[in-house]
Amino acid sequence: MSQPIDNLEEAVARLHVASKSSSAYESGPRKVVGKSAERLDAVEKATGETKYGQDLFDKKFLFAKVLRAAHPHAEILRIDTREAKKLPGVVAVITHSDVTGTNMHGLIRRDQEVLCSRKVRYLGDALAVVVAKTEEIAIEALGRIKVDYKPLPNILTMEDALKPDAPKIHTEGNVLGEKHLRRGDAPAAMREADVVVEDIIQTQTVDHAFLDLEAGRARYDGKMLTIEVAGQWLHEERRLIALAIGLPLEQLRLIQPATGGAFGGREDISIQIYLSLAALKLKGKTICLRYSRSESMVARHKRHPMRVHYKLGAKKDGTLVAAQVTFYVDKGAYASTGIAAMRKASSHATGPYKVPNVWADVIGVFTNNNPCGAMRGFGAVQTAIAYEGLMDRLAVKLGMDKAELRMKNLIHSGDAVTTGQIVPNATGVECFEAVLKKIDWKNRSYETAAPHLKRGYGVSVICFGLGYGDGFPDASRARCKLTADGMVEVYSSGIDVGQGLINMIAQIVAEEVGVPLERVRPILADTQLTPESGSTSATRQTYFTGSAVQLAASELKKQLQDIAAAHLEELVYEIKIDNGEAYNVFRPERRLTLRELAREGKRRGFSLEAMGVYKPPTVPEDTATGQSMRAFVTYLFGSHACQVLVDTETGEVKVERYIACHDVGKAINPDQVIGQIQGGVTQGIGMVLMEEVVMKDGKIMNPGFTDYILPTIRDVPEIECIVLENPDPGGPFGARGVGEPPLIACGPAVMSAIQDAIGKPIRILPATPERVWRTISEK
Amino acid sequence: MKKARKKTVAANGGSLWPLRFTLNGKKVSAKVQPTQTLLDFLRIEMGLTGTKGACLEGECGSCYVLVDGRPMNSCLMLAPQAQDRTVTTIEGFAHNKKLDVIQQKFVECGAVQCGYCTPGLIVAAKALLTENPHPTREEFLVGMEGNICRCTGYNKILRACELAADEMGLKKK
Ligand code: FES
Ligand code: FES
Repeated sequence: MSQPIDNLEEAVARLHVASKSSSAYESGPRKVVGKSAERLDAVEKATGETKYGQDLFDKKFLFAKVLRAAHPHAEILRIDTREAKKLPGVVAVITHSDVTGTNMHGLIRRDQEVLCSRKVRYLGDALAVVVAKTEEIAIEALGRIKVDYKPLPNILTMEDALKPDAPKIHTEGNVLGEKHLRRGDAPAAMREADVVVEDIIQTQTVDHAFLDLEAGRARYDGKMLTIEVAGQWLHEERRLIALAIGLPLEQLRLIQPATGGAFGGREDISIQIYLSLAALKLKGKTICLRYSRSESMVARHKRHPMRVHYKLGAKKDGTLVAAQVTFYVDKGAYASTGIAAMRKASSHATGPYKVPNVWADVIGVFTNNNPCGAMRGFGAVQTAIAYEGLMDRLAVKLGMDKAELRMKNLIHSGDAVTTGQIVPNATGVECFEAVLKKIDWKNRSYETAAPHLKRGYGVSVICFGLGYGDGFPDASRARCKLTADGMVEVYSSGIDVGQGLINMIAQIVAEEVGVPLERVRPILADTQLTPESGSTSATRQTYFTGSAVQLAASELKKQLQDIAAAHLEELVYEIKIDNGEAYNVFRPERRLTLRELAREGKRRGFSLEAMGVYKPPTVPEDTATGQSMRAFVTYLFGSHACQVLVDTETGEVKVERYIACHDVGKAINPDQVIGQIQGGVTQGIGMVLMEEVVMKDGKIMNPGFTDYILPTIRDVPEIECIVLENPDPGGPFGARGVGEPPLIACGPAVMSAIQDAIGKPIRILPATPERVWRTISEK
Repeated sequence: MKKARKKTVAANGGSLWPLRFTLNGKKVSAKVQPTQTLLDFLRIEMGLTGTKGACLEGECGSCYVLVDGRPMNSCLMLAPQAQDRTVTTIEGFAHNKKLDVIQQKFVECGAVQCGYCTPGLIVAAKALLTENPHPTREEFLVGMEGNICRCTGYNKILRACELAADEMGLKKK
C-alpha cells in the first residue's frame, strides 16, 4: 500500500515498481523516473523562442480567411464569389465545387461538410475560403461573397428538436444516437428502497479557451502537402484531410508546432482542412491562416451541455440500492465525438459507488447550436456533478454525514463498476480518507466573520475509465534509436499540449535504457518522422505512449547489451547500462560509452533502433445493457475536499481551501503531476462558478474573454495535492495517468460545498453570484 | 502626436507613418500602418514572436510588453503610440543566454506548461517587482490578475514570482 505524499521530497523517496525491463541486474533506486526534472522545453518557452502556429507567419506568405454561415439553419441556394475574386490582391476563392475529395469530415461519423454546399447547420459552418496577399484583403473579400439562403426554422432546444414534426437537421433525423445501461432491475429495486431522492441537474456549454488560437500554415510543392497546425491526433487528421480533399495519405505531412493548450479543443479538425484546400489549389505558395478569438469560439466544438434526470434509492442505513438516470445531451449541429462522450456518461453513471441496480439512458439530440465534442473530462464531468449532487441530497434526506454515506458505498478492489467490469485495484477509499484527514473533516468549523457569510464544505470521489475503451482499437507506437553522436532519440506522435508529455517520454527512456536525461532527444509529432501514437486525449498518453516508449527503450537496451557483451567479451546478462555507460557488473573498470556503443553496433550490423507497440485490448459493450467485462483498460480514482465561503448578500462564492488527491499509479514526474492537478482543479472551479457560453438564437453572445469569464489568480486558493501511487500493472513503471480526473472531481466538490453553505442545491450550472443569490432568496 | 509627421503611401493605398522608439535597448525607426496594433507590429514587422496574442481585447495579458517600464497590453495599443517610448519585450529579458531571475524561477518552479501565457506573465511580474520589490501576497494578486493562464492553476506561478522577489531582494543587499 502506498503512502500519501504531500511534497516533492517525499515523492522522490517512494516505492518502486517493477519495470518492464528484462535485465537481470536492474535493482536499485530509480534515477530519472519519479524525479521532478525541469520541463525540457521550459527555457525556450520562458524566453519567447518557442514557435507556436501563429509564430510561423511571414509577410511574404499568402493569407486565408474562412466565410461562415449567416444563419444557424438554412438551405444554401447560391454562392456567388465573382465580386470577391475581382478584388485586387485576392488570389483564390474556394467553395465546395473546388473540393475534389469527399468534402466531408467528422471524427466518428463523417457528417460535416468541409465547405457547405446545400445546407448550413450552425453559425460556425464554413462556406468558402479566400486566399489573398494580406489578411485585410482576405477579410474584405469575405464581405463580397454573396450567399443566398433559404432560412429554415432554428432548432435551439432539445425539446424543439424532439418534437415529432420538427424539421430535420440531418436527413436521418434529430437524434444522434442512444446509449443504454441495464444492470439489475432498477425500477423494482427503487420501489423497495426506503429513501428515494430525485432531481434534475443542468450543465452548461463550456469553451476550452486555450490561449493559443488556431493558427498555422501549409504548402504544397506538387509532391507533398505539408501542414503545420496544432492538433491532438496528427495521423487521424491526416486521414480526414486525405479523404476530404482527395489526396493520397502519402502526400500529406502534418507537423505539430508548439501547442498552447488543447483540453480536447483541438481534437476535432479545424483550420488544417481549410489550409490544405488552399495550398492544394495554390501550388508552391505558403498559406497562413489564423482565427480571431471570436471566430475560434464560434467555429469550435464545445463541452456538451447535459440535462440529467437522476433518481437514487437507498436503504435506511444509507446502502445504495438503485439508480435510474436519463441524460439528455445537446449535441449541437454535428456528431463530433459525441457518441463516445455519451458512453462515458452511461458507463460512469454511478461513479465509484456500488449500486446493484442501475438503469441509465443517454440520448444525444441535434440542435443548431455549436457542435459539442471533446473537452477534458469528456462526459464524465457532467455525470460526476450529477451523481455526487444526488449523494448530497440523499445524505440530507437520511440525516447522515455526507462523507460517511460515501464511504459506506464506495467500491473496493474486486468490486464491479456499473459496466460490470471488476476493478482489481480500486483506491477511491484511500483517496477519500486522505482528503478527509487533511481537511480535518470531523472538526470542520462553520464560524465566519459575519452572519451573512456562510461557510460550506464539499467532498467528491470519482473513478474514471482511461483510454477509448469498449473495444475501440487503441494503440500507441514509439521508436527509440541510438545515434552516432551517442544520443538516444525517441520518436512519438504524442503531443505535448503543455501537460508535460515531452518529459514523461524522455524520463521513461532515460530510466529504461540507463542514460542521463540529457542524453535523450524526444522527437515529437511529425507524420513523416514519428509513428502513430493515437490521440492526445482520454488521459491515455502516459499509459499508452509511456508503455510503448518503455517497450521500445527496453528493446534498444537489449541491443546495446548485446553489443557491449560482444565487444567486452562478457556474458550479456551481466551487462549493465548505467549513466550512459555499459559494463560488466563484476568488472566495472572496462566501460563503453554511448558513442562507442553506437560505433561498435554499426560495425557489427546492429540496427540500433527499436519499435514499441502497446495495444491492450478492451471488450465492446453489449449495446442493450452497456455491460462489458473490460470496458476500459484501467480505472483512475481521485477525491477532493474543499471549503467555500458564500456571501449570501451578493451570492459570491470564494473557494477558501482546496485539497485534491489522485492515485496516479506512479508519478513519472511528480511536479508535473501536481501541475496537472492544479490546472484541472482551476478549470473545474471555472466551470462551476463562472464559465458559460451563452447562446441566443444559435449565436454565441459572449465570444471573447471580456464576457466569457475565466478564473484568474484571484479565484484559486492554494491547491493542496496528495499523490497516491498504487502501481498499475499495465502502465509504464506502474503509471496510470492524471489528465482528466482533477477536473472531473472538482465540479462536484465545489457544488457540494455551496449546498452545504446555503442549505440548498444549485441545479443549473454555473453557480454564478446571481444564481446563488436567487437560490438563497427562493422560498 | 506632437508634430505632424511625414507620411508615405503603403502598398494597400493607406499611408505609412514613421515611427521611432527604443526596442529592447536598441533605437528603431520604421514605417508603420497607423492602424496596426503594437502586437502585430512587433510580431510581424519586427519578427519578435515571443509576445503572444490570445484574447486580443485586453483581457488576458498574453501580449504584455513593458512600455517605459509599465506593463501594457500591446493588443490594445497602436504601433504609432510607441513613438519616443522605450519598449521591452520578452526577447529583451535574457542576456547572453543568462535568464532573468523571474524567467529562471518560472522554469525551476514548473510554472511553465504550454508556455503561451508565460512571456506575458514574466513581463507582468517584472513590472510589479521593479516598482515594488517586496510585494505582499495581495499586491502580487493585484499585479498578476490581468493575466490568464489556462493550464497551471496559478499556484506555481505565484510561487515562482515570490521566489524571484526573494532572490532579487537578496541580490540588492
Ligand atoms: S491578447 Fe492582449 S490582453 Fe489578451
Ligand atoms: S501555461 Fe498554458 S496558458 Fe499558462
